[in-house]
Amino acid sequence: MSSEENRLRLTILGGFLGAGKSTWLRHQLFAKTYDQPHVIVNEVASHAVDDTLLKGARCLDVLAGGCVCCDQKEQMIALLHRICNDRSRKQDTPQTRQLVFEMSGVADPGQVLTAIQNDPILNRHIILEEIIVVVDALHGLEQLRTEPLSRRQIEAADQILITKTDSCDAQTLETLLATLRQVNPASERRASVFGVEEPLADASSAQPVQLPDLDGLTEEPLSSWSLNLDEYGTDENSWVGFSVWLSAMLHSHGNHMVRVKGVVRTPGGRLLLQSVRKVMQAPEMLPDLPASGERSSDNTIVLIGRGMNQERIHKSLHHVMTKTAN
Amino acid sequence: MCSACGFPPAVGHWTDAGGQTPTERLRIRFARVALLNELLKPLGLGARDLGVQPGIQVFNGMGQTKLCQTLEEAWDQVEFFTGAPFDPLNVV
Repeated sequence: MSSEENRLRLTILGGFLGAGKSTWLRHQLFAKTYDQPHVIVNEVASHAVDDTLLKGARCLDVLAGGCVCCDQKEQMIALLHRICNDRSRKQDTPQTRQLVFEMSGVADPGQVLTAIQNDPILNRHIILEEIIVVVDALHGLEQLRTEPLSRRQIEAADQILITKTDSCDAQTLETLLATLRQVNPASERRASVFGVEEPLADASSAQPVQLPDLDGLTEEPLSSWSLNLDEYGTDENSWVGFSVWLSAMLHSHGNHMVRVKGVVRTPGGRLLLQSVRKVMQAPEMLPDLPASGERSSDNTIVLIGRGMNQERIHKSLHHVMTKTAN
Repeated sequence: MCSACGFPPAVGHWTDAGGQTPTERLRIRFARVALLNELLKPLGLGARDLGVQPGIQVFNGMGQTKLCQTLEEAWDQVEFFTGAPFDPLNVV
């Protein structure tokens, strides 16, 4: 499946207004974390400022004057089409492999992914690598308390970067960490000051802040469940059962599921599945591991959502999976 | 449009990504439709996959059949027939 591996890797950088997205990205470009990335910057303001600060990108495009998840969606799709088109026609040599998309502070990463996923062309050219959400250590808690959007951004994150940790006290930071863990238990949390990674204190003892309800959002915090498919026979059986079960779950409980992520072994190879909200990303075939290698994370799927009961999920999966084996 | 099946080209669905060779894909489809039948039987519905033709056929006991291109569409059709989404958490 060479076409799968050849897709553009997309890293989405989100976070609330003024959280420090551009500062972080600028340092990553300087430190060459990404290999010659194509950077897209989205600005709500009609005049872009950030793009002048970003040196070191292989190519930079700016979408200014609106947020990509609503009024600039068409422009975003057109721009991504152009990038994919140039890439396929080999007009950019050597080929771009990495796309870093810095979203505006008011964009919801989930919406952007849905737009990409529903586009028949982009779907085949772009694959999501990760969603990084930047949170300001000073104002993060307040934003979580008052802004539904800020919560949605954090719920969608694979990785949460806490910035400006040098200018806030340890107590605030610990409370913020505990609250972030409650909002999105499956994310990885890191700290960074001016783009440089900082050690992050363990805040397992701190108490999270109770977040008030915001237009129906977050009546209860997210939970994460991990499902193991190893006990259900051959790769074929487990894949058939799991794909039927998960598609039915997404159909009936999609609004309660925020994230599904994991590697499933299928007859065709190891398949990386990930969804953001109801939308499943185009799956990616991963190369086979060496026979002696560690296989522990294969066939373990993490489900993040709310309003569902762990025991029922496991029973339901077991029920469907054992029907397959018969 | 595909000259063999007549469907306009569509985005591949994630549930169809598990097989690489035609044999694998066909085996997965037959196993899947067998499982679907197990799950749909209590609802008075059934599913069929002809193998030579793309898609899953979902039918009810009244002679209505719908050809669904993906598993996701099949669940939509089940919801249309029964009036409620099929909830896997309720089958236990």
